[in-house]
Amino acid sequence: MTRRPTTLELVFAVAGGALLFFLVAPVATALFSNSPGSLWDTLRDREVLASIRLTFGAALAAVVLGMLTGVPLAYLLARRSFRGRGLVQAVVSLPIVIPHTAAGIALLLVFGRRGFLGMPLGRLGLVFTDSVPGIVVAMSFVGLPFLVTAARDAFASIEEEYELAALADGASRWQAFSRVALPLAWPGVLSGALMMWARGVSEFGAVVILAYHPKVVPVLVYERFEGFGLSAAQPVAAILIFAALLAFIALNLLARIRR
Amino acid sequence: MPFDALEAAFEAANPDIDVRAEYHGSIQVIRHVTELREPIDVVATADASLLPMLMYSTAVPETGKPYTDWHIRFASNRLALAYTKDSYYGDEITSENWPDVLALPDVKVGFADPRFDAAGYRALMAFALVQERSGKYVFFRPMFDGQFKSPVTLFLEDDLATITVPEVLETKPGSHVVLRGASIQLVALLQSGDLDYAFEYESVIRQRGLELLSLPDEVNLGSAAHESFYRKVQVNLDFKRFATVKPQFRGERIGYGITIPTNAPHEEAAERFVAFLLGPEGRRVMESNAHPMFETPVADGYDRMPASLKPLCEPASFP
Repeated sequence: MTRRPTTLELVFAVAGGALLFFLVAPVATALFSNSPGSLWDTLRDREVLASIRLTFGAALAAVVLGMLTGVPLAYLLARRSFRGRGLVQAVVSLPIVIPHTAAGIALLLVFGRRGFLGMPLGRLGLVFTDSVPGIVVAMSFVGLPFLVTAARDAFASIEEEYELAALADGASRWQAFSRVALPLAWPGVLSGALMMWARGVSEFGAVVILAYHPKVVPVLVYERFEGFGLSAAQPVAAILIFAALLAFIALNLLARIRR
Repeated sequence: MPFDALEAAFEAANPDIDVRAEYHGSIQVIRHVTELREPIDVVATADASLLPMLMYSTAVPETGKPYTDWHIRFASNRLALAYTKDSYYGDEITSENWPDVLALPDVKVGFADPRFDAAGYRALMAFALVQERSGKYVFFRPMFDGQFKSPVTLFLEDDLATITVPEVLETKPGSHVVLRGASIQLVALLQSGDLDYAFEYESVIRQRGLELLSLPDEVNLGSAAHESFYRKVQVNLDFKRFATVKPQFRGERIGYGITIPTNAPHEEAAERFVAFLLGPEGRRVMESNAHPMFETPVADGYDRMPASLKPLCEPASFP
């Protein structure tokens, strides 16, 4: 049985509705203000397709690398109290407050041709300017806080009792982590990974400083707009929004099935 | 940068006017008026020829009149090479051997994207001009061949060297040519050591305190005496799909252009700003920022200009 909404709920619903309109209106306008012909042409545009593949793939690579380092760190942050933990948490969140162009410049100084990582790695053939590794590095830097924070909260929300019980039953520490803690925390970790991936896909400022080429979609949208104007940029923007929506829905479904 | 100083000086002299400046690449700055339809009072661009190309030909939807039908050329500049103390071959490069040095595969050279920034197509012109100057056609191809996914080509005729820039311009991995959207973005890459050299305007190099290598007058696009020599080269942007105009840039002396759009919301204040720039105080500000002003600014569409600006320039028309 449903009760009648209270005045407070009605007022809140109006406020929330205004917010929804604010979010949906620009996205819907960007999606539907294109002629079907221009969308179709853009969908067959090889440069656009290559750029979407590059963007999604590089963001995925950033997430995989982030998982390998970020999940262990998140586990430690959730399970162990150690000196400097607050500082580590602050450092992990740092990229959120750094303007992304500034982050790009900072990365350039480290990973650039003369940077203290860029120079030795460059000798080994790993170049970060105008290259896919540079894009992955930039996406990782701006996206990692989302993964680590979400994974940490996920581990922290699980009672340590379960792991202790597994240990008591003869499991090793590694088994307790991989068979008990990680599966229980997985939905949270996955949603953090999804956030990180989405952040990577949408990143412009940090990427464009390290790698103008090959062009990720945000750079391509900007380039089309700069060089060819609004009408050339709009369908590319719409397709990025559409592809991102699809990927988002798919991954959310996947996460739900896993749960 | 000179426009920051200019804004401060103008506001000090005209406390009733608040100047809000935005800075974009030469082409993009015009798009803010004609495509984004922002209400803008004054448009200034590093290539005056863009104003007729993009603004004379486009009509304001509300009035049906073109966005503007006059402009003033007020300043020049010289194209030059910026570098740093750490640049490879920095102590060997000269105004004569630079095309050979820049063509070396381990030397990273920065260009503004010629599709968006006048500094970019002017830098391409420099390679065609240095060939015309020496009569040896050996500099363009070593520099650019194999660097782009779709090539930038040079077509030589008796009296004209035509460079064609493809619609999709992207460097190959490991290329020694490095592109960025605007020439100013190359400065950070120079400072980080990711570039050895970058094509910039002399005023920018001086303002930023970078090392400056001057280019010969036949190449630097800043010499009035070489105006006819510059016309030996042309850059075509090969826009097949998106373009409403087919941009072609004939070599000419660098001329900065300024105009007031017909839909400017504050026409009177805009006139005062342009007059200030062209007057003695504006001249002083620009020149203290290493930005050479024309002795007498010249105006295209002189008859259609605001009357208050006519005494400040001379009529002229441009091809």
